[in-house]
Amino acid sequence: MKSYRLTQTLQNAAVYLVLTGFAALMLFPFIFMIATSLKEPADTFRYPPRLLPRAPVFVEMAGYEQDLPLYYVTVDGDEEQYALVESGIRVGRYAPADNLAMELVRPLTDVTPTEEMALVNGEEKPLFLVEQDGQLVPMVLVGQTALGRFVNPEDPTQETLANVRLSQPVERLTAHPDNYRRVVELNNMGRALTNTALVTILVVIGQITTSVVGGYAFARLKFPGRDSIFLFYLGTIMIPFVMLIIPLYQIMVLVGWVDRLASLIIPWIFTAYGTFLMRQFFITVPKEVEEAALIDGASRWQILLRIFIPASVPALATQATFTFLYAWNSFFWPLVIINTGNERNHVLTLALNVLRGRASDAPNLILAGAAISIIPPLIVFILGQRFFVESATSSAVKG
Amino acid sequence: MTTEQSPARWLQVVIGWHLLAAAAALFAAILLLTGGGPAGSMALWARLLAAFLLLGWGMGSGAAAFYIYHRIHRGRTLSLFTNYLAFVFFFLAACQIMGVFLGIDTLANNIGRGLPFLLLAFIGYLIGTAADRYEGYYARQQQITRISQGIMVAGGLIAALAAGLLPGLINLLRQLGNPTALGLVIGMGICLLMLWLMGREKAAAALHAQTHHEAMINGYLFLSPNLLGFLIFFAGPLLLSLYVSFTDWDAFGTRNWVGVQNYQRIFDLNIATLSSPTQRADEVLDVTLYGELARFTIAGRSIIVGARDRLFWIALRNTVVFSLLAVPLSVTIALVLSNLLNSKLPGIKFFRAIYFLPSIAAVVGISLVWQWLYNSTVGFINYGILTVITFLNNVLGTEMADPAIRWLSESRTALLAIIIMAVWQTVGFNTVLFLAGLQNIPGDLYEAATVDGAGKWAQFVNVTIPMLAPTTFFVITTTLIKSLQVFEEIFILTNPVGGPDNSTLTLVVYLYQNGFQFFKQGYASAIAWVLFIVIFGATLWQFRRQQQSVSGVYDV
Repeated sequence: MKSYRLTQTLQNAAVYLVLTGFAALMLFPFIFMIATSLKEPADTFRYPPRLLPRAPVFVEMAGYEQDLPLYYVTVDGDEEQYALVESGIRVGRYAPADNLAMELVRPLTDVTPTEEMALVNGEEKPLFLVEQDGQLVPMVLVGQTALGRFVNPEDPTQETLANVRLSQPVERLTAHPDNYRRVVELNNMGRALTNTALVTILVVIGQITTSVVGGYAFARLKFPGRDSIFLFYLGTIMIPFVMLIIPLYQIMVLVGWVDRLASLIIPWIFTAYGTFLMRQFFITVPKEVEEAALIDGASRWQILLRIFIPASVPALATQATFTFLYAWNSFFWPLVIINTGNERNHVLTLALNVLRGRASDAPNLILAGAAISIIPPLIVFILGQRFFVESATSSAVKG
Repeated sequence: MTTEQSPARWLQVVIGWHLLAAAAALFAAILLLTGGGPAGSMALWARLLAAFLLLGWGMGSGAAAFYIYHRIHRGRTLSLFTNYLAFVFFFLAACQIMGVFLGIDTLANNIGRGLPFLLLAFIGYLIGTAADRYEGYYARQQQITRISQGIMVAGGLIAALAAGLLPGLINLLRQLGNPTALGLVIGMGICLLMLWLMGREKAAAALHAQTHHEAMINGYLFLSPNLLGFLIFFAGPLLLSLYVSFTDWDAFGTRNWVGVQNYQRIFDLNIATLSSPTQRADEVLDVTLYGELARFTIAGRSIIVGARDRLFWIALRNTVVFSLLAVPLSVTIALVLSNLLNSKLPGIKFFRAIYFLPSIAAVVGISLVWQWLYNSTVGFINYGILTVITFLNNVLGTEMADPAIRWLSESRTALLAIIIMAVWQTVGFNTVLFLAGLQNIPGDLYEAATVDGAGKWAQFVNVTIPMLAPTTFFVITTTLIKSLQVFEEIFILTNPVGGPDNSTLTLVVYLYQNGFQFFKQGYASAIAWVLFIVIFGATLWQFRRQQQSVSGVYDV
């Protein structure tokens, strides 16, 4: 029995391991999006890539107007955090003519030129007096380079020279929420957000209304032709949306809605699929309740409003969530019907498409824009998932 | 008996209206058919369609007058139908002419100013929910509800005013100066009056209405918003698309009937035999017409296939490759994950929610994220590959090189990159669907299998897979239909769209290019219908398979 429990535990651990691995894969692009959207531009192109946004640390030092960046430098074999005071100092690498391996680095201005020459590898080179351990030693110039002067922020007398490019800057985790403000200003995202919200809300209200009323007719009213119309509706659910793009475009040209928000709303508030879903739900409402209400003299409208709609809140929430996601995320139709130049009527997906070209060198801004378009659906999903996941799947399994 | 002889005054009015309306509709239809007056500028198909609709409506109206005169109930139904349709038409036309639909743009412009006040309305709603706390204190509840309603109404009203309600209304009223708009509004009024006259109890009694008559009127009344929208924005466009696919419509005015020419061009293949596998294509094909599509050797004979529209066939191939890779991958992973999730462990709901996330985010946004993940120099995907390879090299002592894949800019990998992203995006949704299917499988089937000595794997193959068949059918079909229409990922991720070297050109991308970049909308419509046939065929094939597998299960 004990070994059984052990294998069971091991099995569960393995299951959790696989599930967690997949969860990480699923989440990583989102985490990457949020993290990058909070980065500084320079941080985004760094190699090797790092997930979390970081920024260099600056210190305030007496005698300097600006804050100075901190770097890791090696002083006497220890790694210390020093502030970069001055960069681009021309320095020479000096060595005694008889021992070229013993190099010293000194600023060009710190050495004294002499008249004497020394022979190095068959070549005559001028000698300089270079200070070494308090003594002036004649040396030849081996090479030149530019270094930065670093000082200890606690004790400004301690100095060292080091290559700025090769030194690691001191960094801390940071966040630049400012990217969001910038992307909203850069790309008229505020207007795109308002447009998307308006379009989405109107489409959701429209779809819910038409499919509730239509679903009720299909479920509960008997009229000639009902079943054939319903079959016809069912048959069209399979028809792909791209079939409609060109004729709808031509109809929009005919009524003058090209480039207008109306074209994103009015054609999309009628849905065969939603009507089908509502009908499936309404069929499950017990008939007795309705008949009692009819006998009491309630009209069909009253029955729909007072009995059916309150009874179908989960189904309505599901459909509203689906419609919300569909309307919020749609891209192909807006791309076709709204001009690239007409930014006043852009929805978020279109604005992102424009932003992609406009900020092609600033992934932090692009991904801030992507986050703006993705976060509202996430919130709706989290709010609606209680209904959503359950009934989205039950309709699929029954259907 | 006297009422039977001479109809009541209001019935006479209705009959008169219907006769008048029928005459007007017939006159307008004739005008449209002969192309006289303002109708001359309309396209032939539009004129024919309008004339046909008007004729039908006029006949309905005339028949209504006839039946009402004879006190047959059908007259009331017809009257209500024709007046309702006319009312909807007048209403929509008035909205269109008075700029109500286009006013949505202005609303979007001004709504920002109203938003803070909508917050006020929301606060009012919150106050209203507080009323629930005072259960039993009826007076208190009433008071709170009244206050909350007051705040909500005030907030909504101020928001509407801030968003430009008044200027909008004034603008609307000013539009009534336009004679057409005024006429439409008057038409609306007349139709409403007629609907009221014929809809009331008195009319029902006068025409001997029965319960099933009322049910029919109610039924169509409830269905009408949906049905009209469906006809105008779905069935109508579908027929229009079929018509357009037989024309050279270009969205600027040219629209000649070209018969099956579009389809002919799509399917025009030319197969020739080569004398050697490396022979130049222009020696056997008319390369001014046909582009080389493929060459292969069967039974010692080299064959070259040329296509009039080479890009279409490339797009078809890419679409099929995409679907054949993306769908099985997504479905298989989802099946495995759902079986793991189906164990009764705590925290499963959390994983389910996480797996669902990719499928709710906009493809455009997701694609932008993946574009940077795929970046060949600083992208995380290549960095991850490099890390794994370095690790393996260290452990195994091998010397594998960094592949440094240029994911999206190489024709070998671009489609694969799109497939990986598409699988990532669809797998969660499919997992959740499978999970629901799994939870519907009765547990005693597994118990019986365990009693029969079946192991976990045997249970999976013999119980889970067959019982899951309907869900599998649904999952495969929806994923397949979606993947045959792949567009947005490719539009964002590839540059040029469909590139590099046409390696990600799919049917919908090709349709988009033809329809909205070259404005060959007739040709694009023909592509759409071919795509439809592909999708329909794929669905049918799946359906057949499902039927077979289901019958297989129950036969045993």
